[in-house]
This record gives sequence, C-alpha cells and structure tokens, in this order.
Amino acid sequence: MRLYTMNLDIAYDEKVIVKNLSVTIPDKKITTIIGPNGCGKSTLLKAMTRLIPYKEGQVILDGKEIHKENTKELAKKLAILPQSPDHPSGLTVYELVSYGRFPYQAGFGRLTKQDKEIIDWALDATGLLELKYRPVDSLSGGQRQRAWIALALAQDTDIIFLDEPTTYLDIAHQLEVLELLERLNREEDRTIVMVLHDLNHAARFAHFIIAMKDGRIVKTGTSEEVIDRNVLREIFQIEAIVGKDPLTKKPLCYTYNLIK
Amino acid sequence: MVISPHLKKKQRIIVLSLLILLVVTCIISICLGKASLPLQRIIPTLLGYGSFKENFILYSLRLPRITITLLAGIALSLSGSILQAITHNDLADPGIMGINAGAGVGVSIFYLSFSINITNFIYVLPLIAFISSLGTAALIYLFAYDKLTGLHPIRLVLTGVGFSLALSGTMVFIFSSVDPFQVDFIAKWMSGNIWGSDWPYVLAILPGLLFLIPYTIFKSNILNILSLNNHVATGVGLKLKSERLKLLITAVALASLAVAVTGGISFIGLMAPHIAKRLLGPRHQLNLPVTMLIGSWLLVLADTIARNINVLLPTGIVVSLIGAPYFMYLLLRK
Repeated sequence: MRLYTMNLDIAYDEKVIVKNLSVTIPDKKITTIIGPNGCGKSTLLKAMTRLIPYKEGQVILDGKEIHKENTKELAKKLAILPQSPDHPSGLTVYELVSYGRFPYQAGFGRLTKQDKEIIDWALDATGLLELKYRPVDSLSGGQRQRAWIALALAQDTDIIFLDEPTTYLDIAHQLEVLELLERLNREEDRTIVMVLHDLNHAARFAHFIIAMKDGRIVKTGTSEEVIDRNVLREIFQIEAIVGKDPLTKKPLCYTYNLIK
Repeated sequence: MVISPHLKKKQRIIVLSLLILLVVTCIISICLGKASLPLQRIIPTLLGYGSFKENFILYSLRLPRITITLLAGIALSLSGSILQAITHNDLADPGIMGINAGAGVGVSIFYLSFSINITNFIYVLPLIAFISSLGTAALIYLFAYDKLTGLHPIRLVLTGVGFSLALSGTMVFIFSSVDPFQVDFIAKWMSGNIWGSDWPYVLAILPGLLFLIPYTIFKSNILNILSLNNHVATGVGLKLKSERLKLLITAVALASLAVAVTGGISFIGLMAPHIAKRLLGPRHQLNLPVTMLIGSWLLVLADTIARNINVLLPTGIVVSLIGAPYFMYLLLRK
C-alpha cells in the first residue's frame, strides 16, 4: 500500500467536487477510474498527483503526505500525463521525451549516459525510435499520444497516472496505447492509474476499478464486481446488458439504454 | 546534449554567421556618421596610433554607444525569451506587456520631481527603472492572477497590454502638466532614443547584466519546462510558482536595465527569440545564444540607421518600424 487517500475533500473555490473520499491504489496493478462527466474523476487524479491542491484530508505516498514532499523527488516516484496537453511548436520527439529526465537533472540540463539510455528505452517501448528527430507537430494523434507516454516513461517512476490517454484516438490506436500500458504493468510491475471513458476498455485492462459519481465512490473492485448492471445503473443511469467477452473472459457491455 | 546532430551543426553555422554579420554591422556603424572614422583608420586607432580626433570618435562616441546597444539588445531579447516561455505566448515582449512603460512612468516622475541634472542621474536611473517596472509587473501579475485557476498565460499578456496603454495615458497626463523643456528629455527617452552613449552608462548597467545574462542562460532547462503545459511542468517536478516568479523578476530586471539607458524600445524582445526559435526549435540551450545575437544585431542595425538618416528618428522608432510589421505578421498567422 504505497498510495492512498484519506477523507479527501477537493474544491474549486467554494464548489466541492470531491467529498470525503478514501481509496487505496493497489500496488503493481492497473487501476481505472470510471464515472460520468463531472463526477470528479479527473479532479481526483490531479489532486493525487499534486497538480491541484485539496481542501481537507490526505494523499499519502510511501507514508508521506504528497504536498509536503519535494516536487522533484515526487516526480521520480510518480509520473502524470494530463489530458491532451499542448506542446511548444518545433519541438522534436527526442527533446520532448528528454524533458522526462528533468527530475534527475541539475543546472543546465545536460543528459548523462544513463539519461540517454532511459530515453532510448522509453522511445523503444513506445515504438518511436524511428521518429525521434521528427517534430512533434508532424506526428499523427496516436504517435503524439505515445510521445507523451514516452515522456512519462522517461521519468522512470513506479507509478504512472494518465488522464484519458485514449481520447481523440481511433480504435486501433486506443488499443495500442492500452496494450503498451498493460505490457509495462506486466513486464515491469509498474502501477498504472488512469481515467477511461470506455467501459469495455476499463473492464478489459483494469485489475481494479474505481466507479465514481458526484464526487463520491460508488463501488470499487475487480471488473466483474464493478462492470455490473446494478452498478452501471446507479452511476450512469443506463440499463446495460453485461455478458462475457469470449476472448478475454472479462465483462462486456453488449448494449445499453438510458433509463427513461 | 540531447539534440539531433543536424540541429547542433545548424546552430554552429547560424552563430558563426550572426557573429560575422554583427562585426560587419559594428564596423559600418563606426565608419558612418557626422563625425566619421574611415574604415582603414579603425585598426590603427584601436592599436593606439589614432589622432586625437580619431581617438575621440572611436573611444568616446562610437564604442560606448555600440557597447550600450549590444548590451541592451541582449538584455531585451533575453527578457522577451523569458516572457514568451512563461506566458506560452510568442507575442510576449517587455515593451508590449507594459514593463517598459512602467519604467517610463517611474523615471519620468523621478526626473520631474527632483529635476536633477542627468550626470548624477546615471547610476540611479537603472534602479528607478527596475523598481517602477517591477511594481508594474507585480500589478499586472496581481490583476492577471485568478484564485481559481492560477496564472493564465493569455490573461497575463492581455493585462500587460492594458497596463501598457494605461501607463502611456499616464505619461501624456504627466507631460501636459509640466514645463515643455523638461518634457523634451522624457519624450526622447520614451521613444527609445539611445541617449546613454558614454562609458558611465555602460558601467551603470554592466554589473546587473553580468549577473542576469549568465543566470538566464543557466536557467535554459527550466525555461524549456516552463514552456510546457503547467500540469506537465509540475508533473516532471518543476517548482512552477517559484521558478516562474524568479524568471519573471529576471525578465523585468533585464528589460529595465536596457530601458534605463536606451529608453522605450519594443519588439526586439518579440522578434529575436521568435526568429531564433523558428531557426532552431524551442530548446533554450540551443536558441538562447542565437536569440542574444539576433537581438543585439537588430538593435545595432536600427541604431546605425537611426543615426544616419537625415530625419531625426529615435532608434526605438526605427525598431518599431521593423518590428510592428513582424508583429502583425505573427498575429495574422495565428
């Protein structure tokens, strides 16, 4: 149990987004947060990665409250890929990914041999080695998303957070990104925490699902426990028919309707 | 270094060409003018074989002025580069964002209320300019800051533009309420007349620049990260607020030192970093040296033109004549 929250309240100004939320992120597993728009899932992700402050409660990583820890030290433990970030024009893939080494650098930012090895590994893992001198502007949406993931990988952290990493990608590219994350988890024991919109993706790739509504957790558990008629009815107000994916043996929403 | 070998080579060629261009422009600047020094006399004069008149032209007229112009060009372009990184906006420039105007108001008020003679004024001037532009920047920051979302880059630029206009209005008000003789100096100063063209002026700004220029270059990597999305920057471990503040103060200090001796010069801080980034991409380790060279070259060039055309035009106006169309081009391209 390296990372957990206790009685967390997050508010923008006076508007409370997340209320009294306690959750433990299972170590070395893939965790997915699902829930309707505005339920506070992105907000939770940002607060857990110290991108935004929280009002009450605690976020604890390795026994320490994250807001009290040095932000650079924190960046060696957890990486966060925000939702569709923009980048300075003209930046090459290699340059962008090299910025992931920032927490390990001092001063002018010269890259050591070790830095370069890790950058090359990150580029290789995301299939971008061939494109490393290409400007990020010239990449396709899927390639661009992989470049951002490579930046997070270059941070060489045990924990990686991603906010909707499959947005704006076509189905093949979505799968490509998710399989990459699955491989990182399987082969390197990385803890992955991500917000996903697609329930079937969540069911298929997550070991642990956090289902949220109105700033609270409705249900947590495995795909089988969370991707379930009753839970989906409560969270999304949909009447879903859930079966089993013949290939992955995971739950699968065949079809759903709004509850009238 | 993490860059492609191609970019590295390109940078060397560009730096070398700019250095040559800069030296040639400086030589032309020495040769041209009412009191002129012929080309073939420059080296003998430098070696100590010049006549009294030649020595005077070179050491007391041309060299101090060129030095001031070079330094101011470097300071303004670095200031622009920092502001562009902080605001994520290519249109940021100390002049456009009201920092120069802030210095102008401060200097005018000081000058008019104490009506001291200029020689004693030299060493205080950079300080006055710095304090008043820092005050302006603090106000801009305060007005642009939002409790909810923090500092939004675009709002920072727009607030700056607003302040710039308001401060120019204040200047008009100040001008209209004092006697015309005093206004003359300030008016010339505001339009970017490089008036501080003697060695004491170099001395007045040099210590500050000797610290600020290396400091900015040392911060190249921080500037890279600052140019990214705020959340990404925090995510890779940048102390966003404190680094942004430190660099904002650095940008203000650089601009105000330049403005103190050259008057209000806009657009150098806009054009130089922008051209350098177009040539070499957004990594500051690569583009800052080129930014400084372009900035100083542009200002020396503008000053040479300003001194040698028959109409009396301050250097700042010449820079604006080049810079404003470039600004329009950038706006339209967006």
